[in-house]
Amino acid sequence: MSYLDEASLPLPFCPGCGHAKVTHAIDEALQILGRPKERVVVVTDIGCVGLTDRHFDTNAFHGLHGRSITYASGIKLADPDLTVVVVMGDGGAGIGGAHLLAAARRNIGICVIVANNFNYGMTGGQHSCTTPSGGITATCHLGNLEAPLDLMGTLRPSKPGFLARTSVFADDVPALIARGLATQGFSLVDIWDLCVAYYAGQNTLTRNSIADMMAELEMPAGVHFEGGRPEFARAWRDLYHPAETADDEGMCLLPPDAGLAPVAESILAARTGILIAGAAGQKIRSLATVFGAGAIMSGLHATQKDDYPITVMTGHSAAEVLVSPVPIVYTGIEVPDVVLILSEEGRARVARKLAKLPPESRVYVEASLGPVETQARVIPLDLKGAAKEVHRLAVGAVGVGTILAAEGIYPLEAFEAAARRLQKQKVADTNIAGLRAGAALAG
Amino acid sequence: MIEFLEGNDAVVRGALDAGCRFFAGYPITPATSILTGMMRAMPEAGGVAVQCEDEIASIGMCIGASMTGQKVLTATSGPGMSLYSENIGLAITGETPLVIVNVQRQGPATGSATKGADGDILFMRWGTSGGLPLIVLSPESVHECYTLTRAAFDLAERYRVPVILASQKEVGLTRERVDLDEARAAMPPSRPRDAAPTDRPYVPHAFEQPDDVAPLSPIGGPHLLRYTTSMHDERAWLTGDPAVISRMMEHLRRKIDDHADEIALFDHDPDVGAKNLVVSYGITARSAREAVARVRAAGGRVSLLVLKTLFPVPEAAIRAALIGIERVVVPEMNLGQYAREVQLFADGREVRSVTRMDTELVSPDDVIREGGLL
Ligand SMILES: Cc1ncc(C[n+]2csc(CCOP(=O)(O)OP(=O)(O)O)c2C)c(N)n1
Ligand SMILES: [Mg+2]
Repeated sequence: MSYLDEASLPLPFCPGCGHAKVTHAIDEALQILGRPKERVVVVTDIGCVGLTDRHFDTNAFHGLHGRSITYASGIKLADPDLTVVVVMGDGGAGIGGAHLLAAARRNIGICVIVANNFNYGMTGGQHSCTTPSGGITATCHLGNLEAPLDLMGTLRPSKPGFLARTSVFADDVPALIARGLATQGFSLVDIWDLCVAYYAGQNTLTRNSIADMMAELEMPAGVHFEGGRPEFARAWRDLYHPAETADDEGMCLLPPDAGLAPVAESILAARTGILIAGAAGQKIRSLATVFGAGAIMSGLHATQKDDYPITVMTGHSAAEVLVSPVPIVYTGIEVPDVVLILSEEGRARVARKLAKLPPESRVYVEASLGPVETQARVIPLDLKGAAKEVHRLAVGAVGVGTILAAEGIYPLEAFEAAARRLQKQKVADTNIAGLRAGAALAG
Repeated sequence: MIEFLEGNDAVVRGALDAGCRFFAGYPITPATSILTGMMRAMPEAGGVAVQCEDEIASIGMCIGASMTGQKVLTATSGPGMSLYSENIGLAITGETPLVIVNVQRQGPATGSATKGADGDILFMRWGTSGGLPLIVLSPESVHECYTLTRAAFDLAERYRVPVILASQKEVGLTRERVDLDEARAAMPPSRPRDAAPTDRPYVPHAFEQPDDVAPLSPIGGPHLLRYTTSMHDERAWLTGDPAVISRMMEHLRRKIDDHADEIALFDHDPDVGAKNLVVSYGITARSAREAVARVRAAGGRVSLLVLKTLFPVPEAAIRAALIGIERVVVPEMNLGQYAREVQLFADGREVRSVTRMDTELVSPDDVIREGGLL
């Protein structure tokens, strides 16, 4: 049974073009493999070689220049039992080089056939990543200055499933493709090919001189690698999918959870914007989340936005929390009502905002940081001292405890419930102890 | 269950509930938590999630997986949208259902990586060659990150087209109080992929009326599937026949544009006798809502139209909202993009663009003052 669509023949290539031989060799290899046509996908790249899929009586996918490996990988990942063949040119291998490398490293089970004719046939014979040094093409008419890519040598260190090189004139092409197709992991067959329209003529490359060129470039034919690494699509499932258990029926995606149902009641009258400014490492973000969750657990609405650099343990870390007895429409804090400053980095980060605060706003600041430049009311507190009694990392919780007690935003018990709900026990214990110390500090 | 979630978390939940079982992505602030969220969620759900070598591979893998029958998602920000561009065109011409989340950051190029903007609004609609339509939705809240992600999957299946969720940092990375169980209970079940009948030959892009959408038969399924990036006929065979190409262009355009009213999601809040109308979307819609409330509280009159579907442009909704209106104010976090769409229907009315692209939110005050609403 041929895998070609007989009605679509003859193939559209120039007389003498090796792409026709490649197409027939793939068909022969598929016949050796014998899979049902519905389970075979031929994915082609752009270029003359990308005209082949039309002639296959299998699933056929013709994608963008250089990206055929990505579609093939998506297909294989989604349905690992499919036989997925990629047919691409040397042009596609060049522009899609990152995909080639990634696919080989993953060892994803696709079989890549490179119809390597040393130039871009379809666009009129420009040089490609495999054009030999000195080769003449439309875009290097005095000779190619680049060194050619050795596909075998490049991919071998990734230890994929199967790597082989041959030429369209060799007898082993169908057999090598069949071995590639039968490989579990990634396979690639680099088939040296004649572009009779452009490259072959200008460079006097012939059936006979291909073997000489292989010797000269030290890129011999033959099987270059066979490996036994697990195939990616199956290995991913084996590793990440949970082992099936007898009682997994009706399993929900997320554990049943009571969420942040109210446990207390807040008497907060108006929307209040709070800025917490500290240093990286002070757990500002998670603290702000617990603070906001505590608001929700006392019946309020809350929003949170964080501001932190991409580094960890250095620089600032700040969070904006908005709490409100009514749903929050606008999420911006135009004028913070309360600012909590825990560190020098935090103070520097919010300096512009501090300078603009009106007298009604309150700034709670770690006393050791010294004076704060603002018109707002400044309340210096020995937050660090109080935290020392609890835990080095509790300074933020101490600050929040102070604010909750002094500002009466919502009852402490709601924060405690939120910490218990969202944090590991030890962390919650620390934060709750810090919170209480802070509340005591506020008097 | 009440939770305190970020918009990106809600996208992950929405995708799961929509039946999405394939994700491929590449890390980029402020979209990364969708990638990591999907990596965590997919295994339990029996799906697959992978980090790719780049955004081109991410969308490419999604397109391949979608054609095997999976509902697929990818997520990125501006720089990655640029890399998606060519493949968005492929998904349009191949009629591939695909959901893309663009958690916008202030740009151009690398821009302010951790700050928000809506600078990609027109790019999302026009960012691939050929100019054919796709669908763009814009959430204004964490709640809508859930509901519009669900809607995006349904629309992608219904119309076999890429749907882009135009989120941004101020929605995706803002934590809010939400109850997704309530949201879920209020929604119809997600649309399954249509199956193609097996008693006749399969024609992948079949249509009788130009706006018909053929069911998609998966690669590996009962039919042999053909798919091509090149200009093709209904069988997905290459064609150079102008009559066939013309019909195909009509089909790809009209299957979306003729259904703009069905695709249109919006809130219209008219004020009797108002001469001013505020048109907004995304995070800025919340500033518009607040501004409108303040104007009304101060005794002023103003109407509001919040668009959740940005493309196809909800023309009928905009025209209806314009009745009796003399001036339109369009606040947005860019230098004035969607205002140009509104202008198309303004019929001589003044369209005032209120813009801000300095990484700060457009404030309700900005809307009132620059919009001249009081
Ligand atoms: C992104 C993009 N850039 C450029 C092109 C134009 N183009 C079409 S085919 C081709 C080269 C194909 O060469 P190769 O892969 O070696 O195939 P061949 O034609 O030699 O068989 C190029 C550059 C394209 N289709 N897409
Ligand atoms: Mg070539």
